[in-house]
Amino acid sequence: MELCLFLGCNTPAIRPDVERAIRASMPILGIDLVDADNYVCCPAFGAFPSTDTDSWLATSGWNLSIAEEKGCDIVVQCGSCYSSLRMGREHIMHHPEKQERVNELLEPTGRRVDGRSKVRHVSEVLYKEIGPETIAGQLKKSLKGMNGVVQYPCHTLFPSEVVGFEDSAREPKGMRRLVEALGANVNSYSRELQCCGGAGGFMKSTPEQAIEFAQSKFDAILAETQTDFIAVSCITCLMHMENVQNTLNKRVGEERYKIPIFDYNQLLALCLGFEAKQVASICNVPRDSVLSRIA
Amino acid sequence: MDLKGSIQDLWKDIYNTGDLHHCFNCSTCLSGCPASYGDPPLLVRNLARMVILGLEEELLNEDTPWACVSCSKCEEMCPMDVKPFEMILAIRQWQSANDETRVPPSIVEIYKRGYTQAVGVNTDLRDSLGLPELKTITNNPELLQMFREMLMKTPVVSANDYMFGG
Ligand code: SF4
Ligand code: SF4
Repeated sequence: MELCLFLGCNTPAIRPDVERAIRASMPILGIDLVDADNYVCCPAFGAFPSTDTDSWLATSGWNLSIAEEKGCDIVVQCGSCYSSLRMGREHIMHHPEKQERVNELLEPTGRRVDGRSKVRHVSEVLYKEIGPETIAGQLKKSLKGMNGVVQYPCHTLFPSEVVGFEDSAREPKGMRRLVEALGANVNSYSRELQCCGGAGGFMKSTPEQAIEFAQSKFDAILAETQTDFIAVSCITCLMHMENVQNTLNKRVGEERYKIPIFDYNQLLALCLGFEAKQVASICNVPRDSVLSRIA
Repeated sequence: MDLKGSIQDLWKDIYNTGDLHHCFNCSTCLSGCPASYGDPPLLVRNLARMVILGLEEELLNEDTPWACVSCSKCEEMCPMDVKPFEMILAIRQWQSANDETRVPPSIVEIYKRGYTQAVGVNTDLRDSLGLPELKTITNNPELLQMFREMLMKTPVVSANDYMFGG
């Protein structure tokens, strides 16, 4: 199956090793990736969706038209990109007057959009299209003997009617099954579905409270699990959950928060035999404790 | 609450949907909202009330919609289909249209280079990871120009064109 890879802004610019992990792992599992050449910002919710519908949907339309031209669906890892593109597509598909306006704006650029390309999250493609069994069958190494916890990207759960793919958004299973497929034991904890808090303006407008909010999650993980790592599938979760641990350590005056964070495709690529220096080389919380045990 | 300055039809300018009026203040939207832990807290329920009542002054001065993390949990939980996250975006749009100081700087960034980050220019790092060169509009002046011209036809960019010069 061919899918159009939409990278967003943060992954290729700040964490290209995650991009490398996605490009390395997906083709082995039967997903051929074609680049979304000349894409633009998704648009981020804090940008055009916060100013007006015209610029919001014209920007979504620009991006969707790239996949439509290639005749395939879009695959994306960043939670915000996923949610923004899906919501943009919903508006364009279900409101003829909006679609008309977007096409009027796109016309001089030689583009058109009608919504025929769907927007899919990489974790959904892995969970529903490929499936945990197929993944398990391809591995060269495993996470056997290790404990993990999972962080569901909120943007893939809510609103479930528009973005969801889990049988129940209240009881998602995808990330858990995917990490189990790599051989790890997945621990549950009380704040598993709590948002990382990293997107949008929460950290910017009230950093104190945003950090405390994240702390409550990390404290629950430390108190209730034996985890060796956290698996995420969103670039914001990845960067925020690392950064906030470092901030918390400075506050409490000890190295209490040092749980390695991996994007799921990084763990997958490592288990498929790719080298950490390519697929998992950039981090702010050391990962050696996990990397040394993948065998 | 002082309702002297209230404008009855303001909701039509801000969030013109019948669903808004089904809001019955149940507060379910607050229960899983990360930004409700902020100081001041983002209280979606109150914002819905303010829009319905037409409290223009208060709404223009509300910073809290910008603390939203876009998780859409409120949208999932609201029993009355108010679509609170869409309402948050609608309030921001209305503020941006009526107060230029609300226009998010990120749209200037995107106008200038297509992205919120410097995408496609970290070639050494990308090379070292074995990644291909990216085709970005930052590196394609002709397309970037088309993108800008498209945006210049949209309301907030054109109304504030002085921000986008150069
Ligand atoms: S959950 Fe919906 S109905 Fe209840 S207060 Fe919030 S917006 Fe209103
Ligand atoms: S989308 Fe915004 S308002 Fe709704 S729950 Fe998430 S942070 Fe709160």
